[in-house]
Amino acid sequence: MVKEQLRPIITLNVNGREYELPVGEGVNEISPSETLVHTLRDRLGLTGAKLGCGQGVCGCCTVIMEGKAIASCVTLTLDCEGARITTIEGLADTATGELNNLQQAFVDKCGFQCGYCTSGIIMAAQALLDENPFPAEAEVREALAGNYCRCGTHYTAVDAVMTCVEKNREV
Amino acid sequence: MKSFKHVRPSTISEVSSILNKEKAVMLAGGTDLLGVLRERILPAYPDKVVSLSGLDELKYISEEKGVLKIGAMTTLNELEKSDLVKEKLPVLTEAAHSIASPILRNSATVGGNLCQDTRCWYYRYPHSIGGRVNCARKEGNLCYAMMGENRYHSIFGAARVNDPPCREKCPACTDIAGYMEKLRTGDIDGAAQTIMDVNPMPAITSRVCAHFCQEGCNRLRYDESLNIGSIERYVGDYILANADRFMKAPGSEKNKKASIVGTGPAGLTAAYYLRKHGYSVTMYERMKEAGGCLMYAIPAYRLPKDIVRRFVAALENMGVEIRCGVSVGTDGLSMEEIYQKSDCVMLDTGTWKRPLIGVAGEELTRFGLDFLVDVNNFIHERPGADVIVVGGGNVAVDVAITAKRLGVPKVSMVCLEKREEMPAGIEEIERVLEEGVDLVNGWGPKRILHGPGGVNGVEFKKVTSVFDKAGKFAPRYDEEKLMEVKGDVVLMAIGQKADLGFLEGEFQVETERGRIKAVEGSNTSVEGIFAGGDVTTGPATVIQAVTAGRNASVSMSEYMCGDLDITSPAPCLHRFDPISRRRDPAVKQRVATTSERSLEKEDASGISETDLQKEIARCFNCGCMAVNPSDLSNVLIALDAFIVTNMRRISAESFFTTDTRVPRTLEPGEIVLEVEIPLPAKETILRYDKFRLRKSIDFAVLSLATAYTVRNGYIADARVVLGAAAPIPMRMYDVERFLIGKIPSEAADEAAELALKDALPMENNSYKIDIAKVLMKRSLAF
Repeated sequence: MVKEQLRPIITLNVNGREYELPVGEGVNEISPSETLVHTLRDRLGLTGAKLGCGQGVCGCCTVIMEGKAIASCVTLTLDCEGARITTIEGLADTATGELNNLQQAFVDKCGFQCGYCTSGIIMAAQALLDENPFPAEAEVREALAGNYCRCGTHYTAVDAVMTCVEKNREV
Repeated sequence: MKSFKHVRPSTISEVSSILNKEKAVMLAGGTDLLGVLRERILPAYPDKVVSLSGLDELKYISEEKGVLKIGAMTTLNELEKSDLVKEKLPVLTEAAHSIASPILRNSATVGGNLCQDTRCWYYRYPHSIGGRVNCARKEGNLCYAMMGENRYHSIFGAARVNDPPCREKCPACTDIAGYMEKLRTGDIDGAAQTIMDVNPMPAITSRVCAHFCQEGCNRLRYDESLNIGSIERYVGDYILANADRFMKAPGSEKNKKASIVGTGPAGLTAAYYLRKHGYSVTMYERMKEAGGCLMYAIPAYRLPKDIVRRFVAALENMGVEIRCGVSVGTDGLSMEEIYQKSDCVMLDTGTWKRPLIGVAGEELTRFGLDFLVDVNNFIHERPGADVIVVGGGNVAVDVAITAKRLGVPKVSMVCLEKREEMPAGIEEIERVLEEGVDLVNGWGPKRILHGPGGVNGVEFKKVTSVFDKAGKFAPRYDEEKLMEVKGDVVLMAIGQKADLGFLEGEFQVETERGRIKAVEGSNTSVEGIFAGGDVTTGPATVIQAVTAGRNASVSMSEYMCGDLDITSPAPCLHRFDPISRRRDPAVKQRVATTSERSLEKEDASGISETDLQKEIARCFNCGCMAVNPSDLSNVLIALDAFIVTNMRRISAESFFTTDTRVPRTLEPGEIVLEVEIPLPAKETILRYDKFRLRKSIDFAVLSLATAYTVRNGYIADARVVLGAAAPIPMRMYDVERFLIGKIPSEAADEAAELALKDALPMENNSYKIDIAKVLMKRSLAF
């Protein structure tokens, strides 16, 4: 009750940048029923996260929130107050635009085909690598168990992640 | 998604108070609820979503004195990754790992998993694509899974979430599917009791009822409706034949006295329930015999008077005093006297008076109802040679057919309504035509034609419409278009009025449109006087009167003693006969051919025992076949866990089996806070086996949670819970008992057979039986 009246705005920290967004039923306001994927794509222009099934099943909308890979299509934006969120747009170097190791590995290993699911897969893998920089292949497969690829790039995607792991080891 | 208000309270009491006051739902991880909201699955869309994400105090896993405690907002990922859980209860780690996908487990919570909605694909069918699917779990009453795709559905029968359509349509709310199920198990006494809980006279209603129940029957979409009427008649006749057992005098007396004026179906019903509960009941009837319309208005060929007499006699044997031939208000017995002598009074005086409609020459016509009463009083005289019946309702039908059967050569029945608008039922109209009555639709009487010898016909005017735009009765005519029908007798069967003459004087019972005004609870405006039946509603069906009588008895009992014995039945799984999926035609009663028919002999005969068995097997026993999708539920029951809410501590077993819609188990404002799991003994072998199509994301096709305590190679204690096999997690008590004292590997085969012996698969999911057997055997392979 209190929050409804005193906080007509919501604060999100996306890719290191603070956003203060108005909450309400107006055109430019975040509706209480709006999911995070819509806020990211339609309001912040971060279209890397894709809307797939809308049920949290396919993994296309995966973003990292507070260190965990989550399905942004089954997360209400209003439940993300103050949360630190990373989308695929936040992985590359902001100054130079250089891709991070994982992204580069996907390019190198051709870990994608049409690309619709790829940002979700990369974000799920990134969350794993943030927690554990040297996972075994079985752990990578497990972490990607919630990401579908209709083109069938699962093997090359896992290959790309493992390549990145090897590269991390060299550093 | 349709919008709602969003709140994120930081205390449990705040959440509880919002849930108590508003149309709100709780949102934990959101992975289930947001899909449900988006597709508008819930019966009512909430105004408010109460997010629990602010309740950090509910995120914990701890061990205290041999009990593992898990906060409801702990995510499934946290549960899966917890070292404490891995060490103490690896089975829980395994179960958590089996749920959904890693991404979803990061958001989904333990509490949410326990309270999630079912995953049936018919139930989940999006409202936005082509509208709602009729579903027994939503506001509908059909389960497509029964004949359709049913991988994620029961192999042990259905659960009632809503009333099946037959019960919903029945004015008395008879548990029709319930008594069919009892009949299938051979429990005819139980079936009889089920009916008598709401209707003491099935022998009568089965013969005269319009059987609204059959109009709703889900079999209509498949082949033809279940012949509920004939089955009810069979049970009804059984009750009458064993009236000494079913209609016994009460064990103890309440020493309160109820009086009932009128002995129609409403009064008789009220008398039955009042007497059954120990009240002393006296009934007053102005006619020679009790029964009201049952005795005097309904022709004997539909309802033999012997049936009514036997029912009345059974009531008298219960100790109901029936005083016939007493006209209250005129025969020296005043309403006041009755009122003074009784603790309460019920009026069931019916509608026996003729309404005047203002047609010229109306005084020369005869009231159809009086004609029926005369015939039932054995005055079997032909009313004339050429009879005109005016009216289109069931009474008009009875009048026309009775006239015909008295030997009148020509009977014309003229009514305002078009054939499809007639208030008489389809069967009734067919019967009229069969008997050779000349049915003329769409004309209203203008004047009665008469000469010196008396009536010689009726002049009718053309009806342009019967109902107004709002559907109210407001006939309009074309006064120019006229028609003459010749006849020497006119029988009017257009409406009946209540005769409230006996009330005048000291009783100011409020009336409305010539009827007694009964408010909720069958009360009239005078304290201690109740009313029911046609005198309050106007002419209605017998089953409506029975319902009114039962309701009146409840109100009267409450008024006199203030107590009511209402018991809600325990939830159970509802079984059907697999034969029901065959397209067998319904069994029909034999109806006398037109040449065999007479005034006195009943037209329809009952069905045989063999036919009864055939017909009861056709009932689908409609319910919801969806299973509980939670994986944790099965494991928690096997572990004998408890669910702690802000109000109570419930065993996991009753939490998941009290209602198939788990959130309905919770009281308003109740929130699941914690799961408490007593750590099992060291030698307990725990296992959760989940059969599914894909390793990640899928719900169980079947799952089995087991906890075996083994000592010296023998099973000392066993808990076996089969998941995704029934609308509730199935605890296999028989198997548990069987396993005690057995060597696991040796008992496996027999345990598997025992576990599935009562399985009741549907057409496309019998393979689940074999899967379950394999899971069962596997659980004992150690």
